[in-house]
Amino acid sequence: MSKTKRLTFCAVMLSLALVLSYVERFLPLQPLIPLPGIKLGLANIVTLIVLYYTDAKTAFSVLIPRCLLGAVFGGSVTALLFSLCGGTLALALMSLVRRSPALSVYGVSILGAAAHNVGQIAAAMLLMHSVYVAAYLPFLLIAALFTGFLTATVCNGVLHVITQRL
Amino acid sequence: MKRVWKWGDAAVVGAVLLAALFVFLLFLPKEEAAYAAVYLDGTLIDTLPLNEDVQITYTGNYHSTVTVRNGKVAVTASDCPGEDCVHSGWVNTPARSIVCLPNRLEIRIAADTSDVDFVVR
Repeated sequence: MSKTKRLTFCAVMLSLALVLSYVERFLPLQPLIPLPGIKLGLANIVTLIVLYYTDAKTAFSVLIPRCLLGAVFGGSVTALLFSLCGGTLALALMSLVRRSPALSVYGVSILGAAAHNVGQIAAAMLLMHSVYVAAYLPFLLIAALFTGFLTATVCNGVLHVITQRL
Repeated sequence: MKRVWKWGDAAVVGAVLLAALFVFLLFLPKEEAAYAAVYLDGTLIDTLPLNEDVQITYTGNYHSTVTVRNGKVAVTASDCPGEDCVHSGWVNTPARSIVCLPNRLEIRIAADTSDVDFVVR
């Protein structure tokens, strides 16, 4: 990929991730799944696409500004800590297992979603000075199976198109 | 692009389910709930017996109204963003807790007053 193409791709992906994480706030998921704080993790679709289309380094260079700018556009310091902890742990794990011949994008995505929740619970444990926050983790992990599957389905479709057209 | 599920994907689903089950069992209640311990910013500030109906407002960064009724505890009103604590509903299971991250408030159910001092720093 040329330098210009890479820069443009990253810029488009970053803005897409920011829009997705903003739009997500207006999706009322609470009545459907009664878990406080649950999200679809739409911005992770972008992380997964960048990881598969380019490499881990590029994916990190999209993820970190996304977390920082996301916090600027109406998040909080707490939200920043959470998205950074969850996001980096998820991406680190996903880039490790991506090359595994035994896993498809679905397995990688579900692992990423689970790692994201583990990272967030770890951040909550630090913030609250309490181990009992982890009692909430099983519910988030079950939810990660579904959100991870959804993320992979979208990513699979998008990658199918952009690898042919771009 | 790979389109089919591989055996590793099933293993991932299994591993996540096992991890969820493990953590769930780890925090499974052993005793009867007796107290709601209220922590603000990691410090124990109040202990509410669940057999006495009471309503108290705790103020940190925000104001959270905690209500004890019929042996259960809930955050019934809060001015924090998101109000995840209010959506957590009524709780009376030991080792479970209601957390309000913006207000740094945690309400933890404890079996007796001796184990509410368990705080990890």
